Amino acid sequence: MRFSKALSFLALWLCISMHGQNKQLLYDFTDIPQALMVNPAAEVDFKWYAGLPAMSGLSFQAGSSGFSAFDLFANDGLSFGDKVQERLLDVLTVRDELSGTYQFELLNVGFRGRHTNMFYSFGIYNEGDAIGYWFKDYAHLLIEGNANKLNRRFDLSDFKTRGEIVNVFHFGVNKQVSRALTLGARAKLYSSILDFNSTGNEGVLVNRRGNNNLISTNFNADLELRTSGVQALKDANDEGTIGNAIFKRGFFGGNLGLGFDLGFSYKLNDQTMVTGSLLDIGFIYHSNSVENYTIKGEFYSEGTEAIFPNILTNPDDGFWTNIVDDLESLVAYEKNNDSYITFRPTKLNGSLRYNWGEQSLSGVDCNCGPNVNTSNRSLKYRNGVGGQIYMIMRPRGPQAAITAFYTRRIGSFMALKASYSLDKFSPNNIGLGLNLQIGPVNMYFLADNLLAYKNVVNSRYQSFQLGLNIISWGKK
Amino acid sequence: MKAKKFVLLFLVVISTALYSCADELDFNQVDNYNPTPTYEAGIFYLEIPEDLINSTNTSNFDQQFRFDAFSSEAFASRVLEGVVTYEVENTTSKAFDILVEFLNAEDEVLDTESLRMNAAPSAVSMVEISYGPAGRSIDIIKSLSKIKITAENLGDNSSTSTVQNAKIKLRSSGAFRVQLKK
Repeated sequence: MRFSKALSFLALWLCISMHGQNKQLLYDFTDIPQALMVNPAAEVDFKWYAGLPAMSGLSFQAGSSGFSAFDLFANDGLSFGDKVQERLLDVLTVRDELSGTYQFELLNVGFRGRHTNMFYSFGIYNEGDAIGYWFKDYAHLLIEGNANKLNRRFDLSDFKTRGEIVNVFHFGVNKQVSRALTLGARAKLYSSILDFNSTGNEGVLVNRRGNNNLISTNFNADLELRTSGVQALKDANDEGTIGNAIFKRGFFGGNLGLGFDLGFSYKLNDQTMVTGSLLDIGFIYHSNSVENYTIKGEFYSEGTEAIFPNILTNPDDGFWTNIVDDLESLVAYEKNNDSYITFRPTKLNGSLRYNWGEQSLSGVDCNCGPNVNTSNRSLKYRNGVGGQIYMIMRPRGPQAAITAFYTRRIGSFMALKASYSLDKFSPNNIGLGLNLQIGPVNMYFLADNLLAYKNVVNSRYQSFQLGLNIISWGKK
Repeated sequence: MKAKKFVLLFLVVISTALYSCADELDFNQVDNYNPTPTYEAGIFYLEIPEDLINSTNTSNFDQQFRFDAFSSEAFASRVLEGVVTYEVENTTSKAFDILVEFLNAEDEVLDTESLRMNAAPSAVSMVEISYGPAGRSIDIIKSLSKIKITAENLGDNSSTSTVQNAKIKLRSSGAFRVQLKK
């Protein structure tokens, strides 16, 4: 029971709080090693780096495109029912969503190869990603009902959701092909801990004037919820081994998948750079601990009927229980364990940056080893300005954001990035990122939608990323 | 010097931006929220053709439906009020009295409704019966287990309507407001 509650809460939390994260501050912020995770071809100049386990790359994002917690739960004396009606039912559309993502790195290490134009990175991170679209017609049906709505089609496809928790094992290669071009790729092995999705639903519920009676009700459904890992975790919880089960499923004991990232960085000229990346082109095959639930069929009723003279020979025709029996036999609820494949939410990033100003070293003289006086750090321009685009594949199609940014390096110990982003969650998303290099220690903190911190509960979108790394630029 | 100013400016900006406030939220509002949707569907339909009426000697036609939908726990514990609508259409050459009786599981009569239809040509007649605070007791609905309909022919067994396929039809529907939380 406790597990069910915890799982329900987790699912609710995932649905409410998570969103496919746009890491616009991290993207192309090449002073930070984790920039390689959003573009495997990011132009990095490290000799090697190592993230502090569980602290090297922590990111979280929560978004709601239609309402904030404040809209519903403000202690404003208004009727909660009125707020539900006016701020949800009357205004939200099926494209509004509650969605997001989190990620934390268990291991992240990078090193330059024998050929200095090659940089390798590998690691493990845990990621949760989920989305739930506003189930508009279900909400109207549940809260208002279907009375006095003849011919109103309640669309059962409005229920669309998906989510997962997965460990990702990755290995990336970054190669400077020429002075202008850097290419990168990252192979990924996914180990799914938990998955749920219900995205291909079809069906309708509609009342019409009946052929005989005042009202006919037609219910046509083809609904499916697919899950994997839920039953295994539930069983483990009952046996008191939930921790082991999560660990086991996260380390190849659950469902596995394959994927890859691709990226490039290209210098149009000495001061202008264009970059792009495609992340998580991959799939997971679910065959372990799979439980799927389906409701499929069609049912039509005008109520009970007594049509003379037929009723005289079939006196049971008018029994209500026959209608219930018909409903149960015609619209079957079933459970199965059929394997299924899910595709990862693929993301696209792109940027165009113009650099100018005095050139300086990107990091501090770390003197990372004995007898080291200088490093292989590259010279970087003090200022940069540009634009970025981000897109993620979602059950209702691609979801995009555009960003304008400015970067500034302060000496060799600090780099800043300010951004202004426009997406479906916020029209005035201002973000700031800070990267600090203190000796070999690298720290970064990036936060989005800062204006919303004036009243955080009234925000429809929050995002932050932080991390701690050790970086070496090596010796000359 | 310029760099220091820039850092200072950045810190001021980020401190101001991150000076976070959070208005008080009251999540207990959900506890007091109990939506009361109204659901509507057809209940029963009765049809008696004139040629059947003329081919029998009886003047009464009756039919009893078992109808447990409203007395089921899921519905009875949530229903607040409702309206049952009857529509009678008579295209036969005979006047009819139609009696609708709501019975409980013990066959005790809970409620009756008498509907009179004149011989054709007569307009379609519609009657709405309210249950709940604004009408008859909602307990009638909660205890409903059977519906008995008796159609009494007030005319003869020989005349024929000028309308083709003449029939007497009784249509009905119900719209009930329920509370989602008991």
